[in-house]
Amino acid sequence: MEEMIGRGRDAIEMIVDQNSFQEHTIESYSFDPEFGPGSVVGTATLNGRLVTVIANDAEAFNPRFPVVFAGVIGLEEGYKMATAVYRTIEADRDKELSEKRPIILIVDTPGNGPGKVEEIIGMNKSTGAYQLALAEARKAGHPIVAIVIGRAISGAFLCHGLQADHILSLSKDFGTMIHVMPITSISRITKLDIERLEELAEENPVFAAGVNFFYRLGGVQEIIENLEDMRTVIDKHVSEIYEIKAKGEYEKLGPWGRGLLGAERGGRISRKTVIDKMANEFAAVKSKYLNA
Amino acid sequence: MALRVLEFKYKADNPVTIAKEWSHLGVVGSGDLEVLMESKDLDGWLTVKVVTPVTGFDKVWDLVLGKFANESQLGNVAMEINDNNATPIVVSMRLRQALAEANKLQTEGE
Amino acid sequence: MRSWEDIQAGSFFEANARERAFGIVDKNTFTELLNPRDRQASPHLPVLGEAIGFDDGIVTGVGLIGKRPIFVVSQEGRFIGGAVGEVGGAKMVATLKLALQTYEEVKKQYPDSYQDRLPAVVISFETGGVRLHEANAGLLAHAEVMDLFQDARHKIPVISVIGSKVGAFGGMGFVAGAADVVIMSEQGRMGLTGPEVIEQEVGKDEFDASNKALVYRTTGGKHKYILNDCNFLVKDQVGAFRKQLTEVLEQPFEQIEQYRRIGSMELVQEQIELVDTAAKLEPKDAMDIWKYFGNEEPAKLPELSVEQFLKVAKRRPRKN
Repeated sequence: MEEMIGRGRDAIEMIVDQNSFQEHTIESYSFDPEFGPGSVVGTATLNGRLVTVIANDAEAFNPRFPVVFAGVIGLEEGYKMATAVYRTIEADRDKELSEKRPIILIVDTPGNGPGKVEEIIGMNKSTGAYQLALAEARKAGHPIVAIVIGRAISGAFLCHGLQADHILSLSKDFGTMIHVMPITSISRITKLDIERLEELAEENPVFAAGVNFFYRLGGVQEIIENLEDMRTVIDKHVSEIYEIKAKGEYEKLGPWGRGLLGAERGGRISRKTVIDKMANEFAAVKSKYLNA
Repeated sequence: MALRVLEFKYKADNPVTIAKEWSHLGVVGSGDLEVLMESKDLDGWLTVKVVTPVTGFDKVWDLVLGKFANESQLGNVAMEINDNNATPIVVSMRLRQALAEANKLQTEGE
Repeated sequence: MRSWEDIQAGSFFEANARERAFGIVDKNTFTELLNPRDRQASPHLPVLGEAIGFDDGIVTGVGLIGKRPIFVVSQEGRFIGGAVGEVGGAKMVATLKLALQTYEEVKKQYPDSYQDRLPAVVISFETGGVRLHEANAGLLAHAEVMDLFQDARHKIPVISVIGSKVGAFGGMGFVAGAADVVIMSEQGRMGLTGPEVIEQEVGKDEFDASNKALVYRTTGGKHKYILNDCNFLVKDQVGAFRKQLTEVLEQPFEQIEQYRRIGSMELVQEQIELVDTAAKLEPKDAMDIWKYFGNEEPAKLPELSVEQFLKVAKRRPRKN
């Protein structure tokens, strides 16, 4: 099986229309090519439709912030990705809902920049800024589809992926990794042996690493089995998302939609119980707080 | 390896219950525990349910809880403890604090 | 629990999550939602042999500050480091959702005066982020919280208060930073990567995680105040946090939104300038940044009391 780990740029070419990708450009805005080299942003067409593309570049190294290599999202990278999203919103601000261009996130990142300078300056803001931008674009009507082609690890996946409307993933046969930490580390922390953990994971997908478990939790919408299908499946989801947004059913999409999907697939049962119970308990005391 | 559930019950000669309908005290930190007490018609019994990761101390639990039951003469109370490796000294202290909390006069609006 | 008055006078750092939730709002107005009697413990911990808690390490509820309904989330660092799992995450999500629904109702019920009754969300952080024992659910919950933060934009204020032992790290580090307002004490810490992992990454010579002063200089309240990541620095007392929170809420919402550090193109641009500064300055220590922003004797700042510090500290200038 042809793995895609570390091949974010190849994935762009495989997904968008041939030779349509213009890096560093979103409408009239041009990015400084030196800035945030660990992330790739630009404009392309997908089946003739204008899209913004945001990906990781595992081969890039950021000389100013040397923790950035192998696809790590650093200070510059997070803000660069956020800027790409804001420029996309800006470009289509006055357009109809059906004309808001999709944003395609190609996900292959092992983490957010871990370092001293990163903490001094505030890496939490960079990754947070990108997430808020994506949430804003999603709510403004832009369909956002993330596709995991390699590594989607913990906080980096939160940053680049988990704010999408729909998340797709190449199947585990491609070596894709979706997790907070590998089962070996969980085994060390919980002091349970790996065989036992894997056995437990069969019944409860909540801690196990991997695409299939995320699927059961509603974290992945659809698993893609063939590389050639990436284009068509992404395009199919873009169309679906347009339809759902046209009906105003935003709660079926994004993180909240994944909560509903998780319950439907039997992966996250307690979430709904908690939300319903709290709503009931609040209803009983509400008047005291509304009419203070 | 899974969490263990231990159940105990004690009957006082002259059972006294708690002032509040229910009461809670403590945080399940490492070496600590939380106690939930509920006033219930239990025919004078004090029931205790302990949920703990620790094995091999069932008898110690019985002794510590029995001593508390005897001293407090609690009855018609359902007690639940979530434990995370608390020592007998900590358990006894938290039980006394939990009882004091359960018998506090309700302040206005609480 | 201690009385409201005792909690006010006491240390924020030492207070547990329930005391902080109770003490951050007006006297005896706090109602806990999904309280310990609901026994909503994690269903995932027992099979892993990990102790459970009836509140799953997160206290949620509603109180009042004046006429405003204040929706409170308070994390308990003593329970599995305050890490967020499925139940705790859902409690945060539900609290935000209720705050947003209440906003709509208040607006409907008081069309002319709803600003005086505007609900707010207050989160007392004490967490390293995702709980590894139920990591996938915790991760998905983080994304939901960020999503709801964006829903709250231009509607209701969301305020982070940070002054407990664990700080606000991991995924919850960026949640904390994404609020409208951040209030910290000197003991509070906010970041993404914890000190041990940094040490692992850059080596002990560069970053010694056991050096407490260094750790606080890098992510502590005073540093974040100079950087303007933290808007208000208060002393380590529950009452001081509540007083600051009350003062913030008395301001018009448009003004409260000015405290944000991220959440718009303009703010991102401002942050990029800070990153450019760091790239040029190559700070070896947070003190290099303090000096850059005009603090001539940076080494003296950590020693100062909060009062003295607030008088002399020079901060990163803001655009507006």
